[in-house]
Amino acid sequence: MAKEFKLPELGENIESADVIGVLVKVGDKLEKDQSIIEIETDKATVEVPSTLEGTVSEVMVRVGDNVQVGQTLIKVDEAGKISDKTPDKKTVVDEKKNNLKMDPQVEEIEEKKSSSKKSSGKKEIVELKVPDLGENIDSADVIGVLVKPGDMLKIDQGTIEIETDKATVEVPSTIEGKVIDVMMKEGDKAKVDDVILIVEIRMETPVKKVWKESGLEVKTLRKTEVEKPESAESYKGKVSVLKPGEIDKQPPIRKGSAPAAPSVRRIAREIGIDINEVKGTGPGGRISMDDVKAHSKKLHLERKTGAGFGIKQESLPDFTVYGGVEKVEMTKIRKVTADHLSYAWATIPHVTQFDKADITQLEKARKEYNSKLEQGKSKLTVTAILLKIMASALKEFPQFNGSINMETKEIIYKKYFNVGIAVDTERGLIVPVIKDVDKKNINNLSKEMGELAQKARDKKISLKELQGGCITITNLGGIGGTSFTPVINSPEVAILGVSRGSYEPIYNGNGVFEPRLMLPLSLSYDHRIIDGADAVRFLRWVVEALEKPLKLLIDG
Amino acid sequence: MSTNLIVIGGGPGGYAAAFLAADLGMNVTLVDLEKNPGGVCLYRGCIPSKALLHVAKLISEAEEAKNLGVEFSKPKIDLDKLRKWKNGVVDKLTGGLGILSKQRKINFVRGKAGFINSSTVKIEKIEGGAEELKFDKAIIATGSRIATLPFLDIKSKRFLNSTTALNLPVIPKSLLVIGAGYIGLELGSVYNALGSKVSVVEMLDGLLPGADRDLVSHLSKRIKSNFEEVILKSKVVEMKEVKNGIKVTIENKDGNINDKVYDYVLMSIGRKPDTSDLGLENTKVNVSERGWIKVNEQLRTDDPNIYAIGDIVGEPMLAHKASHEGRVAVEVIAGEKVAFEPKAIPAVVFTDPEIAWAGLTENQAKEKNIKVNISKFPWAASGRATTLDRFDGVTKIISEPNTDIILGVGICGPGAGELIAEGVLAIEMAANLTDLKLTIHPHPTLSETVMEAAEVFFGQSTHIYRPKRNKS
Repeated sequence: MAKEFKLPELGENIESADVIGVLVKVGDKLEKDQSIIEIETDKATVEVPSTLEGTVSEVMVRVGDNVQVGQTLIKVDEAGKISDKTPDKKTVVDEKKNNLKMDPQVEEIEEKKSSSKKSSGKKEIVELKVPDLGENIDSADVIGVLVKPGDMLKIDQGTIEIETDKATVEVPSTIEGKVIDVMMKEGDKAKVDDVILIVEIRMETPVKKVWKESGLEVKTLRKTEVEKPESAESYKGKVSVLKPGEIDKQPPIRKGSAPAAPSVRRIAREIGIDINEVKGTGPGGRISMDDVKAHSKKLHLERKTGAGFGIKQESLPDFTVYGGVEKVEMTKIRKVTADHLSYAWATIPHVTQFDKADITQLEKARKEYNSKLEQGKSKLTVTAILLKIMASALKEFPQFNGSINMETKEIIYKKYFNVGIAVDTERGLIVPVIKDVDKKNINNLSKEMGELAQKARDKKISLKELQGGCITITNLGGIGGTSFTPVINSPEVAILGVSRGSYEPIYNGNGVFEPRLMLPLSLSYDHRIIDGADAVRFLRWVVEALEKPLKLLIDG
Repeated sequence: MSTNLIVIGGGPGGYAAAFLAADLGMNVTLVDLEKNPGGVCLYRGCIPSKALLHVAKLISEAEEAKNLGVEFSKPKIDLDKLRKWKNGVVDKLTGGLGILSKQRKINFVRGKAGFINSSTVKIEKIEGGAEELKFDKAIIATGSRIATLPFLDIKSKRFLNSTTALNLPVIPKSLLVIGAGYIGLELGSVYNALGSKVSVVEMLDGLLPGADRDLVSHLSKRIKSNFEEVILKSKVVEMKEVKNGIKVTIENKDGNINDKVYDYVLMSIGRKPDTSDLGLENTKVNVSERGWIKVNEQLRTDDPNIYAIGDIVGEPMLAHKASHEGRVAVEVIAGEKVAFEPKAIPAVVFTDPEIAWAGLTENQAKEKNIKVNISKFPWAASGRATTLDRFDGVTKIISEPNTDIILGVGICGPGAGELIAEGVLAIEMAANLTDLKLTIHPHPTLSETVMEAAEVFFGQSTHIYRPKRNKS
């Protein structure tokens, strides 16, 4: 009897891996823990050890394949048994559980019901037995055990996987409760009425839950594969086994629509795309193979970036129940800000690095400068100095002056140095951009910044003045705070947050704590393009530039 | 003994399915009553009728040659020899299928199969005895039977159906064909050419009910001039065998009743599915009210192990539909994600002139209120048609107004059955009128009429002067 070895869970959100080596071949004697394939995930390269032993009867992956968790890698004839000459069916149980959605409301109510009874509920130990297998079948081989002691068993949950000469099926639970003991193991013969599980149930249970199908389409999808016997006339294909009432989830056929060639329609169907949803680029909207591919890519990307996918909108409660409310329409800026920041937050893996700069000297110099301000010169501000420092830092660390194109898998490095400044206005957050910061002196920057901020507050700023930033500075120090985690202004890849500077006792190394003016800095960066060490180096560079302004002249 | 796939019925659907399944490596058993695969199509349908229609065409062309200055004497018909030749055609093709079946190592069993349960069939063998066979998957491809009207079902050798008519028992002096569908008109044309005085009676108001009138009109004209009588909007209410024929009572739409004696009567009122002997009650297969097995777009019945294809799953009851369905069913069984989703299934009536169409018809567009453009090219403007001395043809294209995409094609004329394939391809490929217009067609051929029909739409047909009407 042949068994399938499937790719086990690889841990944390890893669903697939690339095969970089196949370490067994057909006919090999396989031992437990022997490595079968070598795979590379995003995190590491690992070998996958076998949990089966026997003779390898089929290797179903090749170097270069991308394998999914649960995908069959090899088939193994268990030691001592020779596979039957007549082809046997094997079911790959491919329960697409996400096709099933429990109606949340129903569940909630039921849960409440059962929990309210819990306190008074009496417990009882019951046995779950092998049910009638139908049509003259009185026993079957257990080929998988799907629960273990301690599991909370639900109604309809698969308990064991059995194989009859007709098909492989899961035996669903008819009771709900805690699994006390599993009485069967792989390889056992399961006879009708044999005990599978011992389960502790509450007297009130089973509460029959109401299951809702996600659509009109079906619940469980089972795929079957037929093992490949040695004879040449054997069955090579896969056979789909469906239970009565089940239907394959198929894109619909709409007669007369979708102008596409039969080959294109077939490809679409094979890769699970509804041809009716594909936008055709040919004359009269004719759909080409490329259109189908583009559509598939788009769907894939949308899923990957999570734009609008995967996150369910939660409905708001009725606040008027709790008190008076007022509804105000969002301003344009608010809407744009909400959309833009949601996108940035959802698509960029943010990390925020914190540091503090000793600006005692800098502040002294700044105040001195401002007290003897020449006619026509602007006040020197920390933000203006930071502008200059950022431009220099971008030159030093070009990846901070980049953008990512995930579609083309390209990084764009910018050869200009524009810095945005977040400005708090009555109407909301605005980010004017100071252009070519590297080519202007601090005094001019200070002046330009003041003008732009004023324009922004007076609603006189042009769209042009809000575009083209490479990095953003957001200074909340004027209001207060010790540190925060700013959201990156996509498509930029970093943002520097500035909080309020305060005097802290700093050990001077000579047995004395000195009061030093420390400025807290928070650098959020896009981890896709910037590694943690580089982020620290960048922020240290900024800190040092603040502490030793000479650095700007030397390195900047 | 166990097998993976059993195909019940060896017609063009069943054998196409069995052959593909064998090619894909399945273990296939094919069950049929005949000695070789072929089914009604090869034994009692498409093939023998086309052989006879070829002869009919030879006869009528020889006769019409006198208009061109070539006169033959009246043909002598050796009915036995003709029958033998026709049977030879059938034997050659079915024998060939038998060999192809053997080469594919298909287990061909002569017998009648019925389901015992969802994984077993019992085959009553022709040679005697029965065999039970387990299967993983089954395909039902048992086709259809000749429909009859019980109250007219008289026992007489003068009363023919499509099967017995193909056996050419005699050349009747007079023949009444009941039903002006394609089978009746094809067989009527054969006997007409062989020398019978053929009449046809139809309940509805035209020949080939349901077909496009633009196409049928040319055929109607020819049939009306060649046949003895075309009786429309009338029905046969009684038949009785009399001394020298069958006395037929026909009632017209006004209720007037007329008696007439015909040497022979051929009833061809259509075909119907028959699932009675299949043992479907032992499976989960469901049958519709009209007797067709219910299947989904993957040809799977309500019993997950059992598929059904061809006539038994519904209209159109055509061999090429069955073969395509058979292949789709096998691909589904092989685990492919495919479905039966043609844009067009061509239909051909092998009369003279032939009539063929595919995709949307003008009538359907009207019924469903679909806006379409229609462009027609009359064969009178075709050089090739003129060299054949045949002007009774038209090529018609139905297109989508906004995109010019071809939705339907209809052709009437000699060889229409061959020409329609281009139309089917155009529809399947979502070709537009410009595509057809810009595709160079060989000259001088009838296929040019397809290109020129597209040109007509743009008011640019070389051989017709018909300026483009203003779109309003």
